[in-house]
Parts: sequence; structure tokens; C-alpha cells
Amino acid sequence: MRGVETAGTMLQMRPLHITPSVVTTWGIMLALVFFSWAVGRRLRREPGPLQAALEGAMGAIDDAIRAVLPDHVERILPFIATLWIFILLANLTGLIPGLQAPTSDLSVTAALAVLVFLSVHWFGISIEGITQYLRHYLTPSPLLLPFHIISEISRTLTLAVRLFGNMMSLEMAALLVVMVAGFLAPIPLLMLHIVEALIQAYIFGMLALIYLAGAIQTRALHSPSEKG
Amino acid sequence: MELDWTTFTLEILNFLVLVWVLKRLLYKPILKVIAERKAEIQKTLTDAESLRKEAQALRDQYENRQVEWTRAKETARNQMVEEVNAEKVRLLAELQTSLEQDRAKARVLEQRRLTDLTRQAEDAAIAQAGQFAARLLTRLASTELEAKLVEVMLEDLRLIPDERRQAIRIACVKCEVPAIVTSAYPLSQSQRQSLLEALQSLLDRSVSCEWREDQDLVAGIRLSFGPWMLGANLQDELKAFSETARSVSATHAS
Repeated sequence: MRGVETAGTMLQMRPLHITPSVVTTWGIMLALVFFSWAVGRRLRREPGPLQAALEGAMGAIDDAIRAVLPDHVERILPFIATLWIFILLANLTGLIPGLQAPTSDLSVTAALAVLVFLSVHWFGISIEGITQYLRHYLTPSPLLLPFHIISEISRTLTLAVRLFGNMMSLEMAALLVVMVAGFLAPIPLLMLHIVEALIQAYIFGMLALIYLAGAIQTRALHSPSEKG
Repeated sequence: MELDWTTFTLEILNFLVLVWVLKRLLYKPILKVIAERKAEIQKTLTDAESLRKEAQALRDQYENRQVEWTRAKETARNQMVEEVNAEKVRLLAELQTSLEQDRAKARVLEQRRLTDLTRQAEDAAIAQAGQFAARLLTRLASTELEAKLVEVMLEDLRLIPDERRQAIRIACVKCEVPAIVTSAYPLSQSQRQSLLEALQSLLDRSVSCEWREDQDLVAGIRLSFGPWMLGANLQDELKAFSETARSVSATHAS
């Protein structure tokens, strides 16, 4: 922990110490809030180019969620859409000189993974009921309970480490190329950064959506065997 | 690589706040606009569908009217054809009747023309017969023929029935003029005396006679006393013959 304080602490308010990742996150949040407020005031029946693009993005997110969870789109959409938007913007902030992508910080990706872990249980219990939800850990056999638990922990871990590893390695590779090859050489790598940012955001959000679907649809998955 | 719990905690809080804020400021308004637009589109589609149904109904109605109109047109056309045929038959009948009348009229006219021609031919024949008889009798005329005609006259005067004699006497009772006796040839004294006696015997009183001659009589005599006249001559006989033949011809023609 001491290493973190000396290397990354921007503001020290004991016992809290604010890292650049948190500050960047706040910046992203502020930008998003201001953008949402500005856009929300100007929504019209006849959309302009920006509104059309936003509606297209929202429609794509809505369609993606509806394809997996058609009955719970309204409840799931804010969480999944925010994951996609935030991770995408956080990944892309690494392109701005002097800023570090928050997603290259393991604390941030771990926080997001834990949020996904918690949301899976939250939505699962609230929609399915606690008994029905917990029952799926014991099916098809109670002997599989340890494996279910290990699966829950491991997939949360992989969520956090995958995003963190990809973004940190990408930034590190870009830094090394700049140091070795000069100023203009890493431009293709920056293009790769954009693609990687999109892909990682999509993967993280899609995996979260699939985990949520797995938790919410346990009744549907197990009801045929129960009936049998 | 180390996990900073402050960052971890703050990021969780930040994300939850961001979810809440974006839900209020971004997702809901945009989804609301999209929903309203979809509702509007749905309403437009519904209206369009209702308009389409109305148009379909109008089209069906128009087609029904067109079918009815076609049927009415066909009926009217058939009716018109029937009326035209009936009118044609009526006109043909009228024309036939008119032709029959014209034919009858022509037949009547032709018959009349033939009748006229026949009558003219008969008249001509009678006239020619009269002329022929007149020429023949003129050539046969002589004092002997006249003497025979005087005898015929005397015979006729004797054979007059009593009723007739009485009527002649009454008609001539106030007649003071002399009786006129016209002959084609001069009469002998004996013939004059016989005629005078026969006339006085008929009238039963004395009568004087005025003796005249007229070559137009051809042969024979004509006796006239007041309103009464008696002829026994060829001219009067030929004239009577022609009139009789003409009256017989007119009777046949009618």
C-alpha cells in the first residue's frame, strides 16, 4: 500500500488517498453528467445528428440486452449500458497524453468486477427469489456447490484481471514503442488502442450481461428438470 | 498491481452514482423519446392501416357500384334493344299495312282505270255502232221505208191502251195549237188522212195538223201535240239505241 501512495496518490485526505484513476473517473463522470444533462434538455421528436447517434447507440444496447433477457430489459439496461459507456470512455482516456486509463488500474477493474458479482446476486435474488436463486447452486447435485462457488469467484477474477491486463499491457506497449521508435511510430498502436478499447468494453459488458442472464434465468433453465 | 481499497471503494461508489445519474439524465429521456416516436409511428401505422381499410372499403364500394352500373347498363341496353326491335316490328307492320293500302288503292285505281278504258271503249263501240247503223239506215232510207214506218206509227197509235189514251186526252185537252207531224219525205194524201184520223181517234176530238219535213229524221215521222210526242223514225230510234246501250254499260261498270 505504501508503494501506491508514493507512486499514484494525487490527493491525501487521511485516511483516504485519492489516486489518478479516481480523479480520472470523476472527470469522466462529470463529462458524462454534463453531456447527459445537455443532451437531455435538447431531445426532440425530430432528432439531430447527435441525438440520432445517441438513439442509435441506445437502440443497439437495448437490442443486445433484449436478445438475451427480453423480459428484464428495463431493470438491466442502466447497469449494462453504464458498464459499456464507462469502460469505453475509461479505456479511451489512455489516448489522451498525460492521462492514464482508469481501467489499467487493478483497483478500478476489480471494483467493476465486484460490482458485476454483486449485481448478479442482487438481480438474481430480486427477480427469482432467494430460495429459487440459491437452489441453482445445488443443482443438478449438491456436490457441485464448491464448483459453483469457485466458478463465481474465478469469473469475477477473470473479469477484473482481463480488463486490467489488456489495458495495462496496451499502455505499456505504447510507452515502450514511443521510447524506442520515436514520436510518430506508435500511431498504428494508438489505432489498435481504440479497437482494443471498444473490444474490451464490449467483452466486459457482454460477459456481465451473460452472467446476469444466467442468474436470472435459473428457473427457466431448471424448470423442465423439476417438472420431470 | 496492488489493490488500493480506497480506489476500489470509491470506484464502486462512483459507478453506482454514475448508474443512477445516467439513468435519470440520459437513458430515461432517450428511451422516452424513442418510445414516444415508436408510439407515434405505431399511431401513424394504425391510422395508415385504417386509411388503407377505408380506401379498400371505398374501392370495394366503387367496384360494387361499377358492377351495378355495368349490370344496369346491360339491362338498359337489353331494354333498348327490345324497344328497338318492338319499334322495328311496329314500323314494319305499319309499312306493311301502308303498302297493303297502297296496293289496294293501286288496284282500285287500276280497276277504275280499266273500267274507264272499258267504258270509253264501249262508248266508242256504241258510237261506232250508232254511226254504222246510221250510215247503213241512211243508205237504206227511202219512201217505202218511210211508208212502213208510217204504218208502224198507225199501229202504235191503235195499240195504245185505254188508260194511256185517257191520260193523253187529259194532258192535251186544253191544247189549241195544231199537231205537228214531221217526216223525212213528203207524205202522201192517204198517209196524212190516216194519221189525222188515228190522231183524232186517240184524242177523241177534231184536230188540225201542220205537216213538216226534216231530212235529219233519215226515214219515218215524228208526231208532237202540245206536251205529248210520239216518234217512229230512224233518228229517234238510233238515239234511243245509243242511250240504252250506254245505260246498260254504266250499269255493268257500277
